[in-house]
Amino acid sequence: MINRLSPNTKTASLAALLAASMVGLGFAAVPLYDLFCRVTGFGGTTQRYDPVAAAAEPQVLSTTISVRFDSNVSPGLPWKFYPEHPRDTVAIGARDMAIFIAENQSARPVVGTASFNVTPTQAGKYFTKIQCFCFTEQRLEPGQQMRMPVLFFVDPKILDDPDARDVQEITLSYTFHPVDEGKKAS
Amino acid sequence: MTDIAATAPAHGHDHAHDDHDTPGFFVRWFMSTNHKDIGTLYLIFAIIAGIVGGVLSGMMRLELAEPGIQYLTGWAQMFDPAAGDVQGKHFWNVMITAHGLIMVFFMVMPAMIGGFGNWFVPLMIGAPDMAFPRMNNISFWLTAVAFIMLVGSMFVPGGSGLGAGTGWTVYAPLSTSGSAGPAVDMAIFSLHLAGAASILGAINFITTIFNMRAPGMTLHKMPLFVWSVLVTAFLLLLALPVLAAAITMLLTDRNFGTTFYDATGGGDPVLYQHLFWFFGHPEVYIMILPGFGIVSQVISTFSRKPVFGYLGMAYAMVAIGVVGFIVWAHHMFTVGMSVNLKMYFTAATMVIAVPTGIKIFSWIATMWGGSLTFKTPMVWSLGFIFMFTVGGVTGVVLANGGVDTNLHDTYYVVAHFHYVLSLGAVFSLFAGFYYWFPKMSGRMYNEFLGQLHFWIFFIGVNILFFPQHFLGQQGMPRRYPDYPDAYAFWHLISSYGYVIMGVGVLIFFANILWSLVAGKKAADNPWGEGATTLEWTLSSPPPFHQFNELPRIA
Amino acid sequence: MKSLKTLVIAAALSLGAVGAAQAQAPVAAPVEAPVANPAPVAAPTVVTETPEAAAPAGDATYVPLKPEAGVGQPVDAGIDFQPQVSPIGEQAIWFNNVMLLPIITFISLLVLGLLLWVIVRYRAKANPVPSKTTHNTLIEIIWTGVPVLILAAIAVPSIKLLAAQYEPPSKEALTIKVTGYQWYWGYAYPDQGIGEYVSKMLPEDQAKANGEPYQLAVDNRMVVPVGRQVKLIVTGADVIHSFAVPAFWTKMDAVPGRANETTFTANKVGVYYGQCSELCGVDHGYMPIAVEVLPVDKWEAWVRSKGGNPSGEVAATAATPAAAPATEAAPEAAPAAAPAATI
Repeated sequence: MINRLSPNTKTASLAALLAASMVGLGFAAVPLYDLFCRVTGFGGTTQRYDPVAAAAEPQVLSTTISVRFDSNVSPGLPWKFYPEHPRDTVAIGARDMAIFIAENQSARPVVGTASFNVTPTQAGKYFTKIQCFCFTEQRLEPGQQMRMPVLFFVDPKILDDPDARDVQEITLSYTFHPVDEGKKAS
Repeated sequence: MTDIAATAPAHGHDHAHDDHDTPGFFVRWFMSTNHKDIGTLYLIFAIIAGIVGGVLSGMMRLELAEPGIQYLTGWAQMFDPAAGDVQGKHFWNVMITAHGLIMVFFMVMPAMIGGFGNWFVPLMIGAPDMAFPRMNNISFWLTAVAFIMLVGSMFVPGGSGLGAGTGWTVYAPLSTSGSAGPAVDMAIFSLHLAGAASILGAINFITTIFNMRAPGMTLHKMPLFVWSVLVTAFLLLLALPVLAAAITMLLTDRNFGTTFYDATGGGDPVLYQHLFWFFGHPEVYIMILPGFGIVSQVISTFSRKPVFGYLGMAYAMVAIGVVGFIVWAHHMFTVGMSVNLKMYFTAATMVIAVPTGIKIFSWIATMWGGSLTFKTPMVWSLGFIFMFTVGGVTGVVLANGGVDTNLHDTYYVVAHFHYVLSLGAVFSLFAGFYYWFPKMSGRMYNEFLGQLHFWIFFIGVNILFFPQHFLGQQGMPRRYPDYPDAYAFWHLISSYGYVIMGVGVLIFFANILWSLVAGKKAADNPWGEGATTLEWTLSSPPPFHQFNELPRIA
Repeated sequence: MKSLKTLVIAAALSLGAVGAAQAQAPVAAPVEAPVANPAPVAAPTVVTETPEAAAPAGDATYVPLKPEAGVGQPVDAGIDFQPQVSPIGEQAIWFNNVMLLPIITFISLLVLGLLLWVIVRYRAKANPVPSKTTHNTLIEIIWTGVPVLILAAIAVPSIKLLAAQYEPPSKEALTIKVTGYQWYWGYAYPDQGIGEYVSKMLPEDQAKANGEPYQLAVDNRMVVPVGRQVKLIVTGADVIHSFAVPAFWTKMDAVPGRANETTFTANKVGVYYGQCSELCGVDHGYMPIAVEVLPVDKWEAWVRSKGGNPSGEVAATAATPAAAPATEAAPEAAPAAAPAATI
């Protein structure tokens, strides 16, 4: 079959195939970028603790690090959302719980979901969440106030990374967005 | 401009080679499958688009000539009588968007690749036509429709006013949740069409260059202009599909509730920037590489010497193309990236200066020991080398991530890319136009007007763009319709520069018209022994069908 | 709060005429700031104070500073970078002025010189018979190798500059939350208990009355203490904006849905302006940034005027007992420690 094609058709088909695969690569960039961010902590993407995969509990060190909690509410979400304390000092490797408080200030039930990252970005690889309200959608009834915990630890490996070991303070930032019925995570 | 169309066939009939009947006007120009006719169409199209884009920049320079908003609201009212201040300021964003997109997609690319590429790649490799003449025709008309859609988008609602005011980069979320109305959709769709046209064109060029070279025309004997188009075609093939994917996702984010670039649903607006610039940086080389090719031909011709370091020149372009794909994030140094990434992109970007330097020095070495005549195309090429160097070295400054922190999105960047494009790519376009005008039209251009055009344009663009370095260093951000009083002086100078440049362009048009009507008949090879490529072995203009017997290259 | 603001504006308006005159003669009267604890602050920095700003208030209340002509803002027909007042800015401008600018000027002139030389020497009249040379391996190696060396020489200070910019901020840094909105900025000081306040561009008449440049002047500035490192947490509320202050060599995109972090240390009292640097819609050109750098005591007065606690740390909690001494350690030490590190 392929031998019966003229050389021109063959070359053009190969070129078209190349273009088509680049279109595919363009779309594949979405999951690949996501994966890349999660693996490398790129852009301050945090890690998620997997109790099965984790070989052992991280060692708790005497070195401490400051963790700042930052909260944002995107326009269109009638919530108040703030951390109970603006920052915390934790021992590296130790589990810590921070509480965020969300309050629905409207007269209708509202569902929200949070995006998050940490700064400086090089700390993302070492900021591990065990449990977080940000993993699921949150529904608040009118006027309801909810205390939302996030359980995390800072991986002791941060002290082995020349780019990250001098970090004095990690900022954990959340932005709550309204969940629009039409807009689901893609 | 249609005079090219009117005169070219008339002269075509003079030649005995013309053994086929040329088709009638409609069939010839609307259903054209002839690479030279399509090339002519592309050039006319690029000139029209250039006028539209140039008028837009003139309006912008007029508005920026002094502080305050003088004209914007009035201009907005021409299309929407109810327009107020907001619509006026929105119109500003529409102008910067349209100017950028038009100059990139509908002026430089069609002129370089569609115009000169179509005209001269088959001639230079000794081919009778392009590999897929009908596809060639489709490419052109897709581009034309895309242009009409883009211009049309300026007259439909786009959020705060008529038109798409997103900048040519169409960053999300300004282009998604930030711009209601169909204008942005239309602009995106226009990019889809233009992109599809360019991909088809790229496939056509690659097939033609690989399969249709005359006997003896090995890859390593191809003229550098053909090399430049080949590398450009590969860049188009690899970069444009990524843009198509990126803007398709913009469209679905806008219209179908997906959240690829929307943090609300787990997307990331920065992903769009990565995808855009993965296309956007190679796009810069797509615009300049054919210019490199043109300048190489011109310099060699008017030095009466072969190109110095031919293989180095060819592979420097390949290297520029390859490295062009791994430097994209230097366009987004302030987006919040890790220090390692920034160091990598700083270093990788500076690497591009090496092959570029090889080209600059090889051009000079080509002239070294030559016997130089300073005809108009040569003067434009000399101007190109110097101005491109100036634009290139400011690129080295901007490549440093730490320095870019201050200069990012300021007028320094505007000055930089106008030096490489408006003084680089455009100079090479003028060089190519004057170089090949006798071949394309069968008439000589007016040498005096050509030289005058060069000097006035050269002075104008330098007055126009050099002060923008100063504005950028002082902190003037780009894409501003208005500015604090302290920036007024250089903005005014810059606007004067535009006027001078505009006079130069008028001389260019006068030259074309005069030459088409009263120009001397051009010899087959008006440039003498320096012009060694195959197109000069044909009549001027070449017959409707050439190389019925393939030339043999020794 | 509101009455204080009115008072301040009224004071500024009445002083406007003087301020304008002052702007004409910029360094007319630089006075050493009469601050309560001058040792840590004034030692490494030249504190320029306009007399009228010092006159009514002493160090108890906050009076907005007048900008100084030529500092923190563009100048008429200016061609150079704005004078830098942060260590990063000084390093960057050294890199540009001492390395990059001479190198690129030299390369441009070299190319121009070579072009002029071939134009004169090898014009057809002077050289009627062209040579046939198309190769010279040595020269090709040289013009590949020399640029590589030049770029390597540029790369070293460039990478150093990047490393310095990305040095993690110290524990004593003042944290300010910056949020970009269409089309204004919001600033908050989480540790000082100052909730987000909005900073918008002043209309032309008010800016002129204040003696400030129109399109750069804002109603509520970001206010920081001199010599102390500032850490900015930057985010965008709607579309992407970019927070930029040229005189600090600072620029950071405000991306919705994610936080970015950058730092600066301002070593000179004054008012420094910037502008939004990412296209964000209709009023992209009208959401300027003004940062007021004050002596520590004046800054503390400003914090108190905003209802905040200048010492900070109010709400910080210690999760582990071991850590307590480290963070609770006198925050007063912060401003004292900072200048030592900056010069």
